[in-house]
Amino acid sequence: MDPQSLTFLGLPALLWIPLLPLLGAAFNLILGRYFSKATVGTIAIATVFGACVLAGILVFWGLFFHPASPEPDKVLPALWQTGGYTQTAWSWLEVGSFKAPLALHLDSLSAVMIMIITFVGTWIHIYSTGYMAGDPGYARYFGYLNLFTGAMLILVLAANLPVMFIGWEGVGLCSFLLIGFWYENDAYAYAGRKAFVVNRIGDFAFLLGMFLLFWAVKSLDFEQLKSLSNGAVYSASNWGPGHAQVWGHERLAAAGGILLFIGACGKSAQLPLFVWLPDAMAGPTPVSALIHAATMVTAGVYMVCRLSFLYSVSTTAMMVIATVGLLTALVAAFIAFAQTDLKKVLAYSTVSQLGFMFVAAGAGAFNAAIFHLGTHAFFKACLFLGAGSVMHGMEHGGSKTPGDITTMGGLRKHMPITRITFLISCLAISGIFPFAGFFSKDDILSGAWGTHPPGWPIWYGKILWGGLLIAALGTAFYMWRLYFLVFGGNERSEEAKHAHESPVSMTSALAILAFFATVIGFIGLPEAHVFEHLPKVFHALPTFLEPSLTHTWYVDAAHQPQIAGGFADGTLFTLMGVALAVGIVGIVAAYGLYGRGPSKTVDQLVDGPLHGAWEASKHKLWFDEVYDAIIIRPFKLLAKGLFEIVDRFIIDTVAVNGVAFVIGLFGRLARWFQNGQVQRYLAGLIVGAAAVFFVTDCHRHPTFDITRTGDTITLHAETGASVVGNGAKLHWHLDGSTDCAGEKARPADPPDLTVRAGDTGARVALCIDDPIERKMLVVSRAVPDVEVTP
Amino acid sequence: MNDLLFNVGYGHFLALAALLFLIGMAGVIIRRNALIMLMSVELMLNAANITLLTFSRMWGDEGALSAHTFALIVIGVAAAEASVGLAIVVAVFRGRRNVDVDKLTTLRH
Amino acid sequence: MKLYALLIALAICAPAVGLAQPAPAQAQHFADVRSGAQSPASPHNDTVDGHGMGMALLFWAFAIASIVGAIFVISRRNLIVAVMGMVGSFLGVAAIYMLLYASFLAVLQMLVYAGAIMVLFVFVIMILNRPEDEPVAPTGHVGQVVGGIAILYLIGRLVAVLWNVELPNKAVAMAAPRMTQLGYDWGSVKAVGTDLFNGGLFPFEAISILLLVAVVGAIAIARPLHEDDISDEGTKGPGHS
Repeated sequence: MDPQSLTFLGLPALLWIPLLPLLGAAFNLILGRYFSKATVGTIAIATVFGACVLAGILVFWGLFFHPASPEPDKVLPALWQTGGYTQTAWSWLEVGSFKAPLALHLDSLSAVMIMIITFVGTWIHIYSTGYMAGDPGYARYFGYLNLFTGAMLILVLAANLPVMFIGWEGVGLCSFLLIGFWYENDAYAYAGRKAFVVNRIGDFAFLLGMFLLFWAVKSLDFEQLKSLSNGAVYSASNWGPGHAQVWGHERLAAAGGILLFIGACGKSAQLPLFVWLPDAMAGPTPVSALIHAATMVTAGVYMVCRLSFLYSVSTTAMMVIATVGLLTALVAAFIAFAQTDLKKVLAYSTVSQLGFMFVAAGAGAFNAAIFHLGTHAFFKACLFLGAGSVMHGMEHGGSKTPGDITTMGGLRKHMPITRITFLISCLAISGIFPFAGFFSKDDILSGAWGTHPPGWPIWYGKILWGGLLIAALGTAFYMWRLYFLVFGGNERSEEAKHAHESPVSMTSALAILAFFATVIGFIGLPEAHVFEHLPKVFHALPTFLEPSLTHTWYVDAAHQPQIAGGFADGTLFTLMGVALAVGIVGIVAAYGLYGRGPSKTVDQLVDGPLHGAWEASKHKLWFDEVYDAIIIRPFKLLAKGLFEIVDRFIIDTVAVNGVAFVIGLFGRLARWFQNGQVQRYLAGLIVGAAAVFFVTDCHRHPTFDITRTGDTITLHAETGASVVGNGAKLHWHLDGSTDCAGEKARPADPPDLTVRAGDTGARVALCIDDPIERKMLVVSRAVPDVEVTP
Repeated sequence: MNDLLFNVGYGHFLALAALLFLIGMAGVIIRRNALIMLMSVELMLNAANITLLTFSRMWGDEGALSAHTFALIVIGVAAAEASVGLAIVVAVFRGRRNVDVDKLTTLRH
Repeated sequence: MKLYALLIALAICAPAVGLAQPAPAQAQHFADVRSGAQSPASPHNDTVDGHGMGMALLFWAFAIASIVGAIFVISRRNLIVAVMGMVGSFLGVAAIYMLLYASFLAVLQMLVYAGAIMVLFVFVIMILNRPEDEPVAPTGHVGQVVGGIAILYLIGRLVAVLWNVELPNKAVAMAAPRMTQLGYDWGSVKAVGTDLFNGGLFPFEAISILLLVAVVGAIAIARPLHEDDISDEGTKGPGHS
């Protein structure tokens, strides 16, 4: 059976994956408040879990049940080998040549994403039933969470850019709603607004990129875009010889790619649009785990990988991505050093890890980016949920500021399960063998080391590698600083002493996520000769993703060199060793400084040589202050000016009040007539009737025209536009006599007459018999001697 | 002058009708008492009837008699109008103790 | 008051004089002699003294009666005087009908207007029993001047137009209607009735339904809606005005 024709209840099977959580959202948002918390939670979990099961069936259907590839040397079934399949639900937008059907596409890339989203999502839903148990907005919370899951699934399953944009905006909306979930708190509501506005900036660029691509390619469908890129649409030859110098030979791909990447910067919190993500920690902690760590913020990475065919044409765009990613990774890691809020540290860690992913994408190692995306989803979700568990425990201990790590310490005694899972995740994020982060981070590092796209300086890949190593060192350091401050040493406050372990619904999710954070890395072992005898499952992910990603730089149809090359085993293991060593150095340094709570050395360093750096890190490099000064203040000034001039003066005073004034003026005039007295109206009627008579009286003087053309004389009677004129009998007197006495009995002459010049006298007269007043009117005019040209 | 006074023609009748009609109209306009207004309307209807009958006589043949029929109908309508109008006057007076049309402003705003 | 008495007297005797006008033999005679001879054409070629003088006198008398009655209607404060003026005017108009050979309508005019409608008005005035506070509508000086000029101009203009209306058929217009044993054939009860029940049957039926509706409507409007309304009358009282 062909999965492409698989339908359920008349809708394509693929559509049901996002539809299930959306139905759950509809239920919880509309009817949820009338049902018990158990019902709401069950439905929320069931729909996401249903989506997870359905996604699993569809993905593994392709893996196991579909007829095997006709070529025996290929590892993958034909379904995935040929780039998946598309199912169209219905035609959504159709304007002229622009078509955007609501089509969903399942290939290996989106398969990986839906598995991550639904699986992690399910466990975060389960965790939330414990975490949000006491919250009055329980149904609203799960409604939003379901809505988010549905939108995210639409985003990753989209078969064209407009549908992806639906999901893109949908997750942005849910992010806004959930950051401001406790909207009674002004700061939280402000954080939601900030996230929304910053994302708008990115979305605007995303739209521009979409328009640009449509303008050039006349389609936004991924398959179409991809097949056209195999031609030479994106290369310079089509854009005229004079433009070949701008951005090398890839003007269109570079412009479109960079615009779309700016959109990804907003969504995935990259420099310079990352400022919203740390503030987004205002939302409930499971939301931070699901949206602001595991799934939504990776949408930008996913989008870049989805459009890998486009970026593979433009080394300029890839260089921009890699550079921005590297800077973000470094800056965020630096800021994370001095943060004292548990979730803020994790937030900056997320920003930094997203930077890693973008470096990988920019370096052409797209499957490394997706691999790290997947492992990061597990261990970062686990970290956030662990943080939530800690804060939950601290709150029960009586803490008013449950996220402040300076008041913690020694929690390993009180929260053993949370501590173990947190430890595993910290090992994973630091890149310690054999945890998941080790493999994915190493994949990125080796990808950066080995990348050599045309147009890049040969050493640029090495620079990326070096920068990432520093960032990885920082990652290990601040994560373990966090770990030691929270769990190590002794309690630094009374509340920490009274903290206790969280309920099983929360710890079970922690355990599952920690388990995957440990083992998931083994599906993506690097390509090395020593691993060749291992089962295929250890190399499943790169093989699986291979058909969906483009790793080759497009020169022309015949030449498509690899962007990133493979290595000899020795190089590979050296790189691995270096990365591992860097991680361990970071951990050791953190243990030295924070192993038993904040040590005296830290105070000395902070007050001494590292004072400036510490302040910079503590104040987030003054990003918010700089934005406030250079963007927000001038903008507010402009808005105020516009308000005073345009709104207050032009609209309020001139337009609105002016219109009202003029209408009022006419109203006052009209009121003199329209005073409600019938008699006044009747008087108006009589005056009007008199006026009609008077006007017709004034206009009833008849006359006639006389024109001469050569010897021909044309006469035309104008009997007057009035009662008198109509039906009047006319009599022409060509001899000019004005005696009309005898004319009454004669039949009337026509109003137009043409005669010869010799037939008339010196004058011509017209007798008009007025039928109403029975008068004879006489008009007489002289005949012109010569032709008069008017 | 002699003609005007002693040789009475159709013009005299029509001019009389016009005069009566305009006097009635002036009454409707200047008087505020609903009863007087109704009477003035009756005057106008009578003036209209005079013109009808004058023109009928002017044509003089059998067909012109439909003007008489028409005048008859006008009289019937006038009677109906008077009865309903006076009923309204009575009803208004019962509620307000007044038939001054200027003071009947309930429906004005 | 003397003028009023004179008016009443004129109005009462007017129909009698009007009815006495036509003399059968003369009518035939004048119809032959005068047809087409006079200008402007008169509706009455048959006159009392053979020179149109008596006819003219009758016309002027009734015309003046009608107009003076009409002016009474619009100018008198006393409602009873106004109604009497209206009755005088209507009687004058009835006589004018008679001069136009519309004998049936002349009688009807007296019965319906001078009889029924007059009585109706008088009854209503008795029910109201209240003089006007302010007889003339407040239009302001500008309004009065403009309205007055407009009315005077309209009078002049209408009279000028109507005065000069051309006769469609001079011979017929000048001839008196045919005589029969029962009076003039044209405009009699028989002639009008024939026309009414042939061509005018539908309007006739319609007007009868209209009258029925008017009767029902008048009763419905003038009747107190509830018993309370009657008691309310006392409480609302003059203070309401």
